[in-house]
Amino acid sequence: MYMNIYLKAITLAVCLLLLAGCWNSKELDDLGIVVAVGIDKTEDDQFLLVTQVINPSEIATDAPTTRPPVSIYETTGDSIFEAFRNMTEKSPRKMYLSQLRVLVIGNRLAEEGILPSLDIFYRDHEFRTAFFVTIAKDTGVKDLLKVLTPYEKIPANKLMHSMESVQKSLGSSKGIVIDELIAQILSKGQNPVLPGLLIEGDAEIGTAIENIEKIDAPTQLRVDHLAVMKEDRVIGWLTPDESKGLNYITGDMESTTVSYPCDSEGLVSVEVLRTDSSSKAKFEDRTPSISIELDLEGNVGELNCPIDLTKAESIETINGDVEKKVKQKMEAAIKAAQEDFGSDIFGFGSLIQRKNPDYWKTVEKDWNSHFKELKVEIQVKAQIRRKGNSTQPITIEE
Amino acid sequence: MLEVSEKRHFTHHLYESIKEANLPIGEMSEVEDKQDLLKKLLSGETILLLDKQTKALSASTKGWRDRGVQETTSESVIRGPKEAFTETIRTNTALLRRKIKDPNLRVEAKTIGRKTCTDIAVVYLEGTAEKEVLDQVKERLNQIDIDAVLESGYIEEFIQDAQYSPFPTVYNSEKPDAIAGGILEGRVAILIDGTPNVLLVPALFVNFMQSSEDYYQRADIGTLVRLLRLFCFSVALFMPSLYIAFTTFHQEMIPPPLLISLASQREGVPFPAFVEALMMELTFEVLREAGVRLPKPVGSAVSIVGALVLGQSAVQAGLVSPAMVIVVAITAISSFVFPAYNMAISIRILRFPLMILAATFGLFGIILGMIAMVFHLCSLQSFGKPYMAPLAPMIGKDQKDVLIRLPHWGLLSRPSFFTKSDQKRVDSKSKER
Repeated sequence: MYMNIYLKAITLAVCLLLLAGCWNSKELDDLGIVVAVGIDKTEDDQFLLVTQVINPSEIATDAPTTRPPVSIYETTGDSIFEAFRNMTEKSPRKMYLSQLRVLVIGNRLAEEGILPSLDIFYRDHEFRTAFFVTIAKDTGVKDLLKVLTPYEKIPANKLMHSMESVQKSLGSSKGIVIDELIAQILSKGQNPVLPGLLIEGDAEIGTAIENIEKIDAPTQLRVDHLAVMKEDRVIGWLTPDESKGLNYITGDMESTTVSYPCDSEGLVSVEVLRTDSSSKAKFEDRTPSISIELDLEGNVGELNCPIDLTKAESIETINGDVEKKVKQKMEAAIKAAQEDFGSDIFGFGSLIQRKNPDYWKTVEKDWNSHFKELKVEIQVKAQIRRKGNSTQPITIEE
Repeated sequence: MLEVSEKRHFTHHLYESIKEANLPIGEMSEVEDKQDLLKKLLSGETILLLDKQTKALSASTKGWRDRGVQETTSESVIRGPKEAFTETIRTNTALLRRKIKDPNLRVEAKTIGRKTCTDIAVVYLEGTAEKEVLDQVKERLNQIDIDAVLESGYIEEFIQDAQYSPFPTVYNSEKPDAIAGGILEGRVAILIDGTPNVLLVPALFVNFMQSSEDYYQRADIGTLVRLLRLFCFSVALFMPSLYIAFTTFHQEMIPPPLLISLASQREGVPFPAFVEALMMELTFEVLREAGVRLPKPVGSAVSIVGALVLGQSAVQAGLVSPAMVIVVAITAISSFVFPAYNMAISIRILRFPLMILAATFGLFGIILGMIAMVFHLCSLQSFGKPYMAPLAPMIGKDQKDVLIRLPHWGLLSRPSFFTKSDQKRVDSKSKER
């Protein structure tokens, strides 16, 4: 009797082991590890899909051959999912998408609206949601993903790291991951921005291994400024200063530089180390307005004009100038958003919604036009903490 | 008639005087039974038979060549006594007596084995050892009816609690200090003639993670070494299965640069990761076994073949990936960290089912295996004591000497899971200055 029960249990267990059939198990050498995906629309309204797949043995090797570190596959399909499966006709390995670093969206699709095509990237279990979404500016997605990059063997890694370092130390762009993007598209009180990617140099030369054999690679990839979107369509681009202004306002500015000419001659450059921005919605007679307070700390980074830093007033002067300069950038960003694009890329609508939900209901449908009229007050408080190693600029005595 | 009775009276008188006074030999005993007499004669005693007496005298005049006390070979230490038990039970009891000069140290002798008549000694501290445990030990020993006992393993298999568990529930050691330490904790040692391996019961899971050297090194070092052993325990148990699970199921959990490096190593390896791991693990087990059996002069040949031919050449030939060799090597080294060899063996055995589970279900399988293992461990008992004590059930005041070891002045009481009486170990005033 007992034997019978054990026998049954063992039989069941063995069946379980065999029937499970190594569900979902894939050996590492069966994976085509995709690091970048480009999507666009073709002229006959099909989806164009470009994947950048790494060639592991070329990347981690003692004896590199002339094969490129990554390969590109391109297919089309009625849907992106179909295009992914169509890829098996070309690629020997199934695309493995968990390690995706960058999703590049083509111009045509960006102008048409990206939301429908984002579904698969959000739905499919294989995607991690930590990849950056970007726009290919003035170039085709395939051309962009074809460029071999110097220094970093995997172009997608180069793009990701560039975006991270731009955000960390320049602030003229920022990385947006898919969660944020979708949340912002769906939010009525905020429109998203997306970073652009550019090719500098000839696209065709960039595809060859010779491109990275030169000390000054003729073709390079560059992170560009931010694209302004209205819901899920790209409607224009911010300038570098406006992009910085946007990052100041939304609190995404980590570190950057502020430079301006001083009264006499030469330049002052200030290294911004830390910013702290807080935006609040205010109501006066049912008229909303936004007030932004920005605290900023920095060092003197470079100084070419005759200012005596040992004096407290000169630091005060620099503080004031930096405040003025930063405020200009923030105002430029708001002006561009209100006048040129009519798109609330700062999330002011959400602030108003939180402050006064009843009022928000009356403007919700037509927020972008109300946004154009919105009054924004900006207050910047700058504090220079350190002067660096010298108190005087290096000058020749006359 | 009278003469006969007088003669009988005389010989009886002679017998008594020989027994009481005239033979200067210790351990005289009377024998009444012919079977008993033969047994004594065959184990080297001198039998004195007197005419017209129904009883015989037996004098313990046993003597044999023995090995002498030598340095331990299987449990070497840096600091601490290096002597090991020998094959002679009298030497072994003497070694214990030398360590514990307490009048309460009891040595109870018995013989087991119809043909071998092996001497067995149960050694414990009267008043410290728990009576229930002692009774159980004696009861289980008395039940044994076997023709031969050649090593303590024979006894261990008869008295252990869980017959079908991969985990040992009887501790054994050939170091007198380790056994004396156990006896002082209130445990019971079983010495068997003919083997240097002495048994100690009850044996809990944590005992197998501890080495007597933990108490000889400074407390902080002892603690860190114990934590290191615990880490090695998990490495030895889970490393290959985690490698299989991560590389065949959960590639998304590997950091990208590592994934690329692992993927490039796997390019061109003809076997699935599981087969690769199984192959290497088996190879290692074979090497280990060969290393134990081989005569010493040939030993170096095995290490050369093992390290160079199997390690390097297998990688160069593209049969296994270098990462797998690293995994197997780390696992192997980790499994040698345990002071108790029998626990190391169980871990090595359990590694294989875990690898199969990992190859079938990935991390899910490993977790299943782990849960089953924890359930099993918690259900085990050793002579009435829960095997996972004092971790499960959690006994707060005994944590002082489990994963960590407090300095000796902090180990105030004996572990309460071994003994409830005579708990005091250190007077709390001993550290006052």
